[in-house]
Amino acid sequence: MANPTIKCLFSAAVLASAVLGGVKVTAAAPLQYNLQPQEIARDTWLLQGKTEDFSRKNGGNIVNTAFIVTKDGVVVFDTGPSFRYGRALRQAIASVTDKPVVHVFNSHHHPDHFLGNQAFQDSTIWSLPETGKQLALHGNGFTDNMYRLVGDWMRDTEMRLPDKPISEAMMSQGLEMGAHRLQFYRFSGHTGSDLVMLDKTTGVLFASDMLFFQRMLTTPHTPGLDIWRQELDKLKAMKYRKVVPGHGPVTEGSAAIDQMRDYLSWLDQRLKKSAEQGLEMVEVINLPVDERFKGISLSQAEYRRSVVHLYPAYEDAQF
Amino acid sequence: MKRLIRIGLIPLLLAGLSFPSAASQTDPQGSLMWDYMRKLFLNDDPYLFDERIKVLVPEFAEDPTQVPVSVDARALDGDIRQIIAWADFNPIQHIFTYRPLRDVHPRLSLRIKVQQATPIRAAVQTMDGTWHVGTAQIDAAGGGCTTPSVGNADPYWESHLGEISSRRFSRDFGSRYKFKVIHPMDTGLVDLIPEFYLQQVTLKDEAGNELLQMDLSQPVSENPVLTFDTKNSDQSHYLLLRDNNGNEFEQAL
Ligand SMILES: [Zn+2]
Ligand SMILES: [Zn+2]
Repeated sequence: MANPTIKCLFSAAVLASAVLGGVKVTAAAPLQYNLQPQEIARDTWLLQGKTEDFSRKNGGNIVNTAFIVTKDGVVVFDTGPSFRYGRALRQAIASVTDKPVVHVFNSHHHPDHFLGNQAFQDSTIWSLPETGKQLALHGNGFTDNMYRLVGDWMRDTEMRLPDKPISEAMMSQGLEMGAHRLQFYRFSGHTGSDLVMLDKTTGVLFASDMLFFQRMLTTPHTPGLDIWRQELDKLKAMKYRKVVPGHGPVTEGSAAIDQMRDYLSWLDQRLKKSAEQGLEMVEVINLPVDERFKGISLSQAEYRRSVVHLYPAYEDAQF
Repeated sequence: MKRLIRIGLIPLLLAGLSFPSAASQTDPQGSLMWDYMRKLFLNDDPYLFDERIKVLVPEFAEDPTQVPVSVDARALDGDIRQIIAWADFNPIQHIFTYRPLRDVHPRLSLRIKVQQATPIRAAVQTMDGTWHVGTAQIDAAGGGCTTPSVGNADPYWESHLGEISSRRFSRDFGSRYKFKVIHPMDTGLVDLIPEFYLQQVTLKDEAGNELLQMDLSQPVSENPVLTFDTKNSDQSHYLLLRDNNGNEFEQAL
């Protein structure tokens, strides 16, 4: 039997640094993402992440990244959670084209969307101006957090800031790459600064984390559920054939947008009603999500996190 | 997945026990700190882990500066001298001491700061001197896209110190007061900022009778939000607060 004292000491030390429960010991297998590019439209490739939370098992590969191959070179939308992922993404690109990667876009300042930047030293990395500022403030904190969450997958990963803010001219005129006409949109619902890209040539909408599908959305930096909801209406009104969410499967039509909008409205009402009844935060955390959301991956867990992020403002409104 | 953790003794073991059994004194969390903490807060008084004392916390400290904690000792209502709550692995362990005096349900909530994963304890002393301990585990900062909050960089409190917002909600058990006080609740452990925190909370009725007294410590979160449950829904009450610098704040609820 294990010596209980040693076991206790060990678990205290591990708990101090482990953010997620579960796997504490990394398997001896080499850490490989095995990214499989999936052609979702002409010249357009998706690397689809798991609809999970960050873990030492998935190495943070819970995010969708994508690239478009044009005759003028490759455009990449988001670079993944680590340097290792960025290198794997480059390999995936090299497996379908020998064109150089010219432009890289970081959709927003969350770590799973920009920490692969180091693998793109020879490209120009763009983001919305506000995203650049958020990264300068919080990027290193996110990076440290990712080391704690996924461990050795992060080896040698450092934040590399975007090179350039997307200019007003580029926002209004878009970008022509080979036969592809790319248009950019500035949203704010998920983090205050969320880049959405529409390829007008193929009709593929890269919605970033403005959209989650079959994986519950996250709210740590939303400026407000009502803002996010209004912006989803704008997204829905756009002309697209396929939509790539930041997390979850690609869809045609508006199923993903409708699911999100439904949840955001429900969450808003849940928090409002709870605050009106004077519930304590723990009581609200303890309530179940509505039956209709239970099939969405991580719905209960993300609901609980969202209560922590959002409930204080609903409580304030009751004073 | 059960996210709210309540750990304690099997209630059957407790029924009818006048002396705590050996098993009931085993810390469900197996924390090395238990014995040290127990001596610090409970002296050598008799104690037992008691599942009826509910300590409700989220499984993960999504925001380690604002971790919600509720303590519910209604199962021992009428027989409570005081409740002491602490976090084993915080640099300052004591969170609060609560004394129900009249017309209140022994149930309260607040938010606290945690330094790292830690058991949260609520020890309820009954009139015979025995401590009934409820306990729960809170894990360290969770979630992917969250960074630890920078803390009270916001100087808002300087011009609003001691402002109290409050509201009474009628509930089936009587009424609930929820209130929020603007106060930095500085621990004295960060960047040479001296400790500055609310120390005493008293709830009184119109006649001046005290319903409850509470001593707070530094781990209570900035701009504290607290709830108390009262049995009467038709009385009016007022709240008295005092911080460690001697500032006093009063508010009719
Ligand atoms: Zn995000
Ligand atoms: Zn994301």
